[in-house]
Amino acid sequence: MSHDTIIATEGLNLWYGDTRALADVSIQVPDRKVTALIGPSGCGKSTLIRCFNRMNDILPGCRIEGKVIFHGENIYDNGADPVSLRRRIGMVFQKPNPFPKSIYENVAYGPRIHGIRDRRILDSIVEESLRRAALWDEVRDRLSRSATSLSGGQQQRLCIARTLAVEPEVILMDEPCSALDPIATAKVEGLIDELKKQYCVIIVTHNMQQAARVSDYTGFMYLGRLIEFGGTTQIFESPRDELTENYITGRFG
Amino acid sequence: MKDKFHDEMARMRAGVLEMGFFAEQMLSDAMRALQENDTELAREVKERKARLSGQNDTLEEDAYRLIALYQPVARDMREIACALKIISSAERIGRYGKDTAGVVLSLGNTRPDDLVAALSLPHMGKLVLSMIDDALHAYETGDLELIAHHSGRDDVVDALRHTIFREGITYMMEDPRTITRCTNYLMVARYLERCADHACKIAEMVHYLVTGERIEIR
Repeated sequence: MSHDTIIATEGLNLWYGDTRALADVSIQVPDRKVTALIGPSGCGKSTLIRCFNRMNDILPGCRIEGKVIFHGENIYDNGADPVSLRRRIGMVFQKPNPFPKSIYENVAYGPRIHGIRDRRILDSIVEESLRRAALWDEVRDRLSRSATSLSGGQQQRLCIARTLAVEPEVILMDEPCSALDPIATAKVEGLIDELKKQYCVIIVTHNMQQAARVSDYTGFMYLGRLIEFGGTTQIFESPRDELTENYITGRFG
Repeated sequence: MKDKFHDEMARMRAGVLEMGFFAEQMLSDAMRALQENDTELAREVKERKARLSGQNDTLEEDAYRLIALYQPVARDMREIACALKIISSAERIGRYGKDTAGVVLSLGNTRPDDLVAALSLPHMGKLVLSMIDDALHAYETGDLELIAHHSGRDDVVDALRHTIFREGITYMMEDPRTITRCTNYLMVARYLERCADHACKIAEMVHYLVTGERIEIR
């Protein structure tokens, strides 16, 4: 791969109790690019991105083997701190989940718990984050309004702004548009294109056209395995693996 | 939904094949009309052009509709790209058949036909028709062996066209009364050479369809 790898897995296996959800996954995710993970339900794609910021740790019965290397260090080493990791690797979920607070407080929340108290600094972080999430112009006059008063698409962009506020390096997105209408989806997709100039974006999506539109690299997963990983154009024009071909052309899944 | 899509794709593919063989038949019959001085057959070939255009329009619309409705990827995408290219080559081949039939009609049924054979046009026609036929059968079956030598076969056709051109000039210099006939026959050689190029275009697309790799056959 010609681009610098920011996060990689080596022989990653994950079990939920007796169920093996990931099987020997080795992937190298390039920095400042969008990587899409596709595959049928239950193939392990969400499980994989949840490994990248140790979101699976909290699940009872979850066991992990192998390595997840972020900046050359295994994030599952004993000394690694999941809280600081989750600041550097942020996540946006399927359903927008703003806190029941004001728009401003939603964005300022992260920086605050990381110790920033100065109002002017917080103001500038909030503005900058909302600008980067392409939401500033729509909410600048109503920052004190409740976040829940926003539309679904705006709420999702607010969640992205909230993630950006703590200056992450990697943004994980788990089906970020599946609860949005086509116009809101187009806005989020446009935003993803902007974000990759500064961040590594990893997106899980069921929408094949979306993966093809927004990503530079695509990984196809099936039954916990990474079947094929390559440039998005190659995967969608002439995939090498028959399973990938059959899945993306709708012959199963 | 996807099954409906693949049913429609199969129908489009069958339509493309039908059109391809229809165009091949137009060229084949036009060559026969030329050799046998059969103006009746030539007239009939000319009339088939309307049907050829109709097939082209229908298939093109089908392809655009499938793209718009299903946003196909991978082999499905290649299948549609291939269909669009093949029908445009097939349309050209059919039209060259029509143009050849036009030559037969313009020369009338009283011409001596010795020059057609002397200039090796039937031989050239056979070579070109077999290239078209193999390319279409490769599309039908996915058997790339059928198109493995299209580049070399195209070279033979190109060389033949140059030979025919030189010989034609010689005949015309020897006997100016042959000028009208010869210039028309040289046009036919040119049509055939273009048809061989279209056979190569079809072969390139079939290769892309089957392997996902683009190649250039020259």
